[in-house]
Amino acid sequence: MRKNSRRSFLKGVIGAGAGAVFSPFVSFKNAVAEKLKERREKDVGMLYDATKCIGCKACEVACKDTNNMPIEYDENHLWDAPRDLSSKTMTIIKLYKGENGEQSFIKRQCMHCVDPVCVSGCPTSALKKLENGVIAWDKDACCGCRYCQMGCPFSIPKYEFDAAYGKIVKCEMCSNNGLLAAGKTACSEACPTGALIFGKQKQLLKIARQRLYKHPEKYNGKIFGEFDSGGTGVIYLASVPFEKLGFPHLPEYSSARISEGIQHTIYHNMIAPILVYCGLALIAFKNIHMGKEKEE
Amino acid sequence: MAHAQAKPVEGKIFTAPVIFLLHVAAVGLFFLIIRYMYGIGAVSNLTDHMPWGVWKIINVIVGAALVCGGYACAFTVYVFNQGRYHRFVRPALLLSLLGYSFAGFSLFYDVGRYWGLFNFLIPKYWQANSVLFEVGICVMSYIAILTLEIAPAIIEKFADMEGPVGISLNKFYRFLDRFLFLIISLGVLLPTMHQSGLGGLAVVMGQKISPLWQSPLVSLHHLVSCIAMGYGCVIVTEFVLTDEYRDRQYMHLLDKLATFMKNFMFVFFILRMSEVLRSGALPLAFHYDHISFSFWAEMILILLGIFYVRDENARKIPRNLFLGGLFTMVGGSLYRINVYIIGFQPFKGLSYFPSVPELFITMGMISLQLAIFAIIIKTFPIMEKGDHK
Repeated sequence: MRKNSRRSFLKGVIGAGAGAVFSPFVSFKNAVAEKLKERREKDVGMLYDATKCIGCKACEVACKDTNNMPIEYDENHLWDAPRDLSSKTMTIIKLYKGENGEQSFIKRQCMHCVDPVCVSGCPTSALKKLENGVIAWDKDACCGCRYCQMGCPFSIPKYEFDAAYGKIVKCEMCSNNGLLAAGKTACSEACPTGALIFGKQKQLLKIARQRLYKHPEKYNGKIFGEFDSGGTGVIYLASVPFEKLGFPHLPEYSSARISEGIQHTIYHNMIAPILVYCGLALIAFKNIHMGKEKEE
Repeated sequence: MAHAQAKPVEGKIFTAPVIFLLHVAAVGLFFLIIRYMYGIGAVSNLTDHMPWGVWKIINVIVGAALVCGGYACAFTVYVFNQGRYHRFVRPALLLSLLGYSFAGFSLFYDVGRYWGLFNFLIPKYWQANSVLFEVGICVMSYIAILTLEIAPAIIEKFADMEGPVGISLNKFYRFLDRFLFLIISLGVLLPTMHQSGLGGLAVVMGQKISPLWQSPLVSLHHLVSCIAMGYGCVIVTEFVLTDEYRDRQYMHLLDKLATFMKNFMFVFFILRMSEVLRSGALPLAFHYDHISFSFWAEMILILLGIFYVRDENARKIPRNLFLGGLFTMVGGSLYRINVYIIGFQPFKGLSYFPSVPELFITMGMISLQLAIFAIIIKTFPIMEKGDHK
């Protein structure tokens, strides 16, 4: 009988332990399901169709030109086209060439996520989602902690490590230079083939779906950014699988949802911390002041 | 006051070890000047792919966890009402204050736009969704609370002063004594919040952190391990500063602290293991790369820490207590380094190792901190009478 009770006790302990371990996931999944952020009507973005891109890099040049970005030199002070995004280059065209002859250009830049991790993580509101869905950077607010770099699933924000007073550099969809206010972006204006088009996110998604529907043989069957990491403002069509083009395989929710879900559960209206504080204060008061009398 | 017996440690202030530490600090400060003149990239190996290096991880995240002695002691003495551990409180609080202040100071050279750090104090820039914001606010408040907690020791030194200053100091002393319970309970609540937050920072990094460490429970892992590391820190500090462990009475106290430490570390180990099993990341531990190597090193250090203080017989040997504390501190530190440096893999094959100047700044800051600690315990009544070497 004693053995039995011990066994049931053990079972209880293990059950409780397992419950403690698993309950955050159960509640987290529910929290995520409720709170996923959605595209708004006003949100603008871009659609890049890799099958139409000829790799002329006019968008790269236009971006550097409009934003007064410097040329990238190598160590011998010779300059060449940049090889990757950096604090001097906010957008880039790359070429993928597979072993079996498949090839595709790919444009990289800030994705302007629907549920941006950088905005969720930024401690001083330096990265903000504007009314039109663009993720913009505020130099007066930024403390340069680089948490945005750590968080961004696409590793987009860059920091000027070579400067004494460095800035965070990332595409702000021309909201920083006034072009966006005129309803366009430098790179999409420069594109000669229509591979890159600017517009409202929801309309761009419709266009992308139509293209997929009309010419399924041309594409890999996926619109990158429709749901990835909670959806992105810049969406992609391509013939080559996106993993080969350097895109990570991401869940359909942003990791900001998990983080904020946990934070908001623990710090909901600060009720839990305040209650814990009151409890601790009571216990400490009793131990310090009542305990003293006993000693004497 | 219970601290009536605390007195400054006697002896020369600038001993050889202190002078050595100050020299290391001087080299670190030299490289700091270069960092401020030419930017972070001039002295460190930080890149856009590895934006957080040893400065943020070792000086801030590991540093803040290692000095959790103040938190662990306040918890033990005032919440669990174990008054007999009182003699550990002041040295632990002093280490905490120094550790946290240096963690805060480290941010001023680690962040790129250090003047922007003051935006944490301006409500218009607050961002309540950010874990980093919560950590920042909590750490700042905790430094203030630690200052109040350690203030009686400073006041005691000047308590005999004549005139209005002496009177107001004594008034403040009594005020602190009366409202100690409010201060102490904040001194328990705030570390609970920010130590879990220091782990919570990892959550938004999602898949960029290896599944061996990434988890929704990463905050809990950090919280539980930091308490164990705090006890470890208290034990190791006692061994370095005193030889009272030969005394059976103190031995008994350290034995108890080691038991708390062991229990917290054991819970941490179970939590980590069950999480690795649950998430299905275990196969990654058998890839025989530097990630799996670091994972096993962490596990072995944690188990060694538990092993040395496993039962009463083992804890009777002072050396075992010391080693148990040390391995717990190192194991917990490696866990944090694993989460943010080794396990941080935005793409395959990313490698980061700090540059020499970068390491000198890290070590210089730690050295400066230890030197200041050594100087303060010889100037202010921190250690209790009879426990000086």
